[in-house]
Amino acid sequence: MEYNAEEYDVIIVGGGHAGCEAALASSRLGKKTAMFIINMDTLANMPCNPNIGGTSKGHLVREIDALGGEMGKVADKTFIQSKMLNMSKGPAVHSLRMQSDRMKYHIVMKETLENQKNLDIYQAEIVDIIVNEKKDKILGVKTKTGAIYNTKAIVVATGTYLKGKIIIGEISYESGPDGVFPANDLSQSLMNIGVQLRRFKTGTPSRININKMDLSKMEVQKGDSEISLFSYDNVDNESMLNKKQVDCYLTYTTEKTHKLILDNLHRSPLYSGKIEGVGPRYCPSIEDKIVRFKDKERHQIFVEPLGEYTSEMYIQGMSTSMPEDIQIAMYRSIPGLENATLMRSAYAIEYDAIDSTNLNLNLEYKGIQGLFFAGQVNGSSGYEEAAAQGIMAGINASLKIDNKESFILDRSEAYIGVLIDDLVTKGTNEPYRMMTSRAEYRLNLRQDNADIRLREKGYNLGLISQEKYNKFLIKKEMIELETERLKKLNIYPTDETNDLLKELGSSEITTCHKASDLLKRSEISYKDLIKLNPEKNILRKEITEQVEIQLKYDGYIKLQLEQIEEFKKLENKKLSKDINYSEIKGLSLEARQKLDKQKPLSVGQASRISGVSPADISVLLIYLNQSQKR
Amino acid sequence: MSTIAAIGTALGSSGINIIRISGDKSKDIIKNIFNNYSKLSPNTIVYGKIIDNEVFLDNVLVSYFKSPNSFTGEDICEINCHGGSYITKQILETVIKNGAEMASPGEFSKRAFLNGKMDLSEAESIIDLINAKTKIETKIATEQLNGQLFTKIVKLREKLVEILAQIEVSIDYPEYDYEEVENSNVIKLLDLEISEINKLLNSYEEGKYIKNGINVAILGRPNVGKSSLLNNLAKYERAIVTDIAGTTRDVVEETINIGDIILNISDTAGIRETEDVIEKIGVSKSIKKIDEVDLVIYVLNIENKLSIEDINMLSKIQNKGIKYIPVINKMDEYEKMFFDAFMSELNKNNITTTINISAKEDLGIDELKSKIMSMFFDDTINNTNEIIIVNERHKKLLEDSIEHLKIAKEEVVKCMPVDIISIEIKESTRKLGEIIGTDVSQDIISKIFEKFCLGK
Repeated sequence: MEYNAEEYDVIIVGGGHAGCEAALASSRLGKKTAMFIINMDTLANMPCNPNIGGTSKGHLVREIDALGGEMGKVADKTFIQSKMLNMSKGPAVHSLRMQSDRMKYHIVMKETLENQKNLDIYQAEIVDIIVNEKKDKILGVKTKTGAIYNTKAIVVATGTYLKGKIIIGEISYESGPDGVFPANDLSQSLMNIGVQLRRFKTGTPSRININKMDLSKMEVQKGDSEISLFSYDNVDNESMLNKKQVDCYLTYTTEKTHKLILDNLHRSPLYSGKIEGVGPRYCPSIEDKIVRFKDKERHQIFVEPLGEYTSEMYIQGMSTSMPEDIQIAMYRSIPGLENATLMRSAYAIEYDAIDSTNLNLNLEYKGIQGLFFAGQVNGSSGYEEAAAQGIMAGINASLKIDNKESFILDRSEAYIGVLIDDLVTKGTNEPYRMMTSRAEYRLNLRQDNADIRLREKGYNLGLISQEKYNKFLIKKEMIELETERLKKLNIYPTDETNDLLKELGSSEITTCHKASDLLKRSEISYKDLIKLNPEKNILRKEITEQVEIQLKYDGYIKLQLEQIEEFKKLENKKLSKDINYSEIKGLSLEARQKLDKQKPLSVGQASRISGVSPADISVLLIYLNQSQKR
Repeated sequence: MSTIAAIGTALGSSGINIIRISGDKSKDIIKNIFNNYSKLSPNTIVYGKIIDNEVFLDNVLVSYFKSPNSFTGEDICEINCHGGSYITKQILETVIKNGAEMASPGEFSKRAFLNGKMDLSEAESIIDLINAKTKIETKIATEQLNGQLFTKIVKLREKLVEILAQIEVSIDYPEYDYEEVENSNVIKLLDLEISEINKLLNSYEEGKYIKNGINVAILGRPNVGKSSLLNNLAKYERAIVTDIAGTTRDVVEETINIGDIILNISDTAGIRETEDVIEKIGVSKSIKKIDEVDLVIYVLNIENKLSIEDINMLSKIQNKGIKYIPVINKMDEYEKMFFDAFMSELNKNNITTTINISAKEDLGIDELKSKIMSMFFDDTINNTNEIIIVNERHKKLLEDSIEHLKIAKEEVVKCMPVDIISIEIKESTRKLGEIIGTDVSQDIISKIFEKFCLGK
């Protein structure tokens, strides 16, 4: 029984972190949007680690926020611990991570979506994508209950639900994460319209009740005394900045743990061949770690609360697909967990993902108009990576409907750009995790300047309100004014000045120095400068932080900007979609095939496709030169 | 498009070299420098003289291919001149002075391709030429040097990638219990890398001499035997390639071979104080010559004692830090007493390690020859296992690489944060990678997972 239900501009399949951002972006851009989710109570769920951010992921959250996304705002409303990582390692790699109240995060995000104009949310499983006869354009979706929704664009954000299969030791069964139904029918529908699928794998550790733990055997891990927040909207939110935080704990595996695992390796589906999906290297199971790193005597185990109103704790570092009986013994071999009972067992999960190189940089599937993909289904991992793709897919689906140019960020503009370019251009053979080392220009892509990089773009798109944009412009001007002031401000070699310099372990001055030059000394901070020049009124931290970084690392930032200019040269050499690469005879066979399949937008993008050599790039450049002459 | 020129044949001891000129101005250039220009018509070869600014350079054959019936599709003129790197370079310089630009590697082929004279698929090798920047030079590194340079760079890079992986792991996994990179270890590694790369760079000078020869000036007062030394060196090797006789120039040039090495020798006018205007010009040219050469052979004559000109000239050479060999000529005529007095005079002026020869009697020439070799090549250089950098692009990349490592080292000392330090090390690694053609960031990430145990 089928029936025609509502009609929409954009339909989002899936209500995880990618789906939520996509739904919000599209509806906020004025598109009539619907989001479908298998189980309403798992909207924006965190089926794995209960935190948002971390190295490079924190950067993504800030970028999403700068563009007008929601993840950072909800994280700020629901965090239970905040920590700025890498404080000693330089400005580019400071990364904010928040322990999140998992349930509260779900509630706040759901409420945001419910109250969003232009947006409807349905609990329903999408079983079919309806396309035109030529199978090159989408028309709508069909639910399991037979409702047909016509639409102009679809964003598939199915996470790990597509043909999800959970594996625990010898046991395996069809399931999405956290005991939710999987999406079994959609895979076939996708394949029918020509979408290539493959199997990926990931996993999660057990959850254990804190009341069954001996915390005295663990080290306490506290949040920062000075709380940092994600959203640029919350810089002066006193209640958030003064929130009472919850502790995490650290313990270690023991010799006994290792022996248990090695003795029972034959029962691990990873080693018995039961798991066919490709798992991520950065997220190995404990059995993987022990086999691969035999010499390491112990591994760290972080114990993290799932929320304020629960006793469930996440056991980071102990992801496993061992049978349950071994799991119990394994966890109990760890100091502090001797009496543990497993509230939720650890499991590995296999799911269908697409080959992300079949996407265009706007996340639309090649050859099927209006079909967008975002999140874990693209082969990424992590809530933040998903959300980043979600907002981009939502924006681009909306732009597509309006016949406007796609919104693409490049590698020099944002981690989002690095993420999507890596997925689409280079492709990935394992679930892809964002890392700061993947960004070539990370000194420019700092988490502190995400608004300076992206706020204007968000405003131009229509995702940032005039009021917020004005606030940003004022901030920017204040940064510029203060920077200029310090460049002109003379610091004289008075006794007072030199006493302070000595105190800071810095060499004394004998001539007049510009304040900005003193700031370049690694031992002198902006705060110290203010002591030398006390009449200045106090600026907010978000201002002084920018001034300090920009002046202190001026030389390096300039160097990086030069590199970016160099990089842009090849990015700006555009390649038409109509080029028939098989006719360019100087290209290697492999390059012809790859270029024909991927149809890169620029010579720069072509150069990052594996199998395209520098020689091929030269041929392309000659080809371009020649065709311009004609 | 501009008119380009290059030497189309290998430099060295070949008998004939060809200079190829391609572009609209080819014929105009020939008109300016070739005396039989009027006889030149398409697809003919004409004999005549190349004359640069009224100075005769060489007797040559010039051929002319009219556009579009030429290799590149443009007007092409080719000059067949006598072999020997000096004279060939002189003619090329003249061509460039008259309006041509130096062709870059593969540029003739590139033009042929762009002008539709050649299908790309016709020759893959042409593409390689166009890509000389990456491919041919990598080929030199990998094939001509039996892959030793390649292996060496891989090793140098490997060490940097390892330290980068350590830094990156501490950044991307801040809470894992891997030891932070210790500053003293970083400095130790950077020092080691810098010294290794320096060794390679030093070999470039040697490589340059192997490729282009050593430029030598023979200096001394009049009649000390400079010319006979030159003749002797030339005769000794029986390898006179070009002799520009009958010129009005007062610096005579020879290209001769010692073993595998080419010497480009200039014989100069004798140096002395003089009132004669023309001779003065000659003398000042001789002095100027010092700045252009890699080595000065300063000839002294026992009979003439040590003059104030000698002392001035030698100290000038010493001050400029130019390599020089004091040669005492006419040893066949010396008397022991005479010689000792002369030597002590020299020693007083800080001049030691002389070579004593008799140009007339062929004495000491071998010794002079091996002295020259030892001044430009380490003993080890004759050992074929040593890596020699011959490619200027490689040299530039190595220099850049070292520069970034030095900055990185300063930053470590200044306690700059690791992400700043990693920028420099990464840049240095990238430069090394450009020599052999690899992508840095991929390597580091693979390394991280190979070496460190991380995850949830």
